[in-house]
Amino acid sequence: MSQSLRPYLACVRQTLTAALSLSDFASQTSERHNVPEIEAASSPEVLLNPLTVSRNQEERVLVEPSINSVRVSIRIKQADEIEHILVHKFTRFLTQRAEAFFILRRKPVPGYDISFLITNFHTEDMLKHKLVDFIIQFMEEVDKEISEMKLFLNARARFVAESFLTPFD
Amino acid sequence: MLLLDYQNVLIESILRDRLAPDAAPTSIDQIASDFDNVTFHISTPQAKTKILVSIAVKCWKELVSYGAQAVLEREYGPYIVQPEQGYDFSVEVDLENLPASPEEREDLVRRVSLLKRNAMAAPFEQAFDEFASLQEQAAQYSSEAAPQGVREGGAVRAIHYREEEAIFIKASHDRVTVIFSTIFREETDRIYGKIFLQEFVDARKRGVQNAPQVLFRDDPPLELQGQPGLSAKKGEVGYITFVLFPRHLTAQRREEVISHIQTFRDYFHYHIKASKAYIHSRMRRRTADFLQVLRRARPEAEEKERKTASGRTFRVQG
Repeated sequence: MSQSLRPYLACVRQTLTAALSLSDFASQTSERHNVPEIEAASSPEVLLNPLTVSRNQEERVLVEPSINSVRVSIRIKQADEIEHILVHKFTRFLTQRAEAFFILRRKPVPGYDISFLITNFHTEDMLKHKLVDFIIQFMEEVDKEISEMKLFLNARARFVAESFLTPFD
Repeated sequence: MLLLDYQNVLIESILRDRLAPDAAPTSIDQIASDFDNVTFHISTPQAKTKILVSIAVKCWKELVSYGAQAVLEREYGPYIVQPEQGYDFSVEVDLENLPASPEEREDLVRRVSLLKRNAMAAPFEQAFDEFASLQEQAAQYSSEAAPQGVREGGAVRAIHYREEEAIFIKASHDRVTVIFSTIFREETDRIYGKIFLQEFVDARKRGVQNAPQVLFRDDPPLELQGQPGLSAKKGEVGYITFVLFPRHLTAQRREEVISHIQTFRDYFHYHIKASKAYIHSRMRRRTADFLQVLRRARPEAEEKERKTASGRTFRVQG
């Protein structure tokens, strides 16, 4: 793990752990509704201050807590065109399977690549620290995966080009 | 499976079966497709012993204007028959009138299965011949004194072999330039293609020093100025230029070079698709890993011992 990644992830972990103290909260605006307040945004008094943790210009995490839900949005590093397309493909692949992921939001918050929405129901039937682990591990692996895919693509391209041109030699 | 074959494998296997010494003649009616929207029809319309192989090529007219007929006559001579209805060119192999030796039969199978390659080879051969004569002419002049025609090289031969894609061939006194225009249907293809082409461009610097020079750009190169039907829109279409040097154009190498360069477009797109497929399967695997991690967050439902009111317990009979 690189030198700047460790404190970054530690910071995200602390922030998430702190933000994930959620309680059941029925909607104040419509009777017998119980919705994630951070999405509905119908009662400003139950929203808490959003927080951004940035590693650098490219990579950052936005944590938006509220009384019964937290929205976590991640911006993944994209140094060039290839990484951009790979990130785009990968996140699209994940969001298409959002049902299986429970906490994954189908659409990322503008300016970010992928968003998670954790409600009090999730923290009730799942272990809170494991949910935090999942997000941290996701952030670690996604970077690794993207750079591995990029390396693979370059290696393959090189091999393919050389094999085509060798018969001319 | 890295490099594509030059021949059509289906034709090759059908003919090889039929031409085997102990094969009984049967009727055949088979349509085979090849790259670049080429269609073959293998049939036995008159007798079971007479196998007719027909080819339909989109750019047949252009190929004929670049001397395809002569090339095909050279290759297939006595086997050529009147083209079948709906096809451009036909050859007929008579099983009762085959060459005697197994080597000659094998050669016949190979030549028929290379039908597409030979049809497409005509403009290349013409350009290579033109190069030879220009080279001879140029040898008589110094570089300044050469007349315009010799210095500039010949006309551009265009083969529009697919809907929106074409090959352009231009001969000069010191090289033959082959330009492929290729279209990328989506953004991902375009970016993958760019990575691949960058490696084609760099390959010469790294190890394959004698390979043709490869250039890539996404607007029409200067050689193609004045060509009709070039899209001015940037981005979607890429132009890949191969510069073949005299060492590639010698008589003993030209067969191989022509066959090989023809497969470029299909080879290139095939590997883009293959990489996409690999990356896709890789993402699928990684997604499964992530799900595994998330599943760990769900506490195991503990099996509690259930009791009746009187204090007895249920137990599953094993």
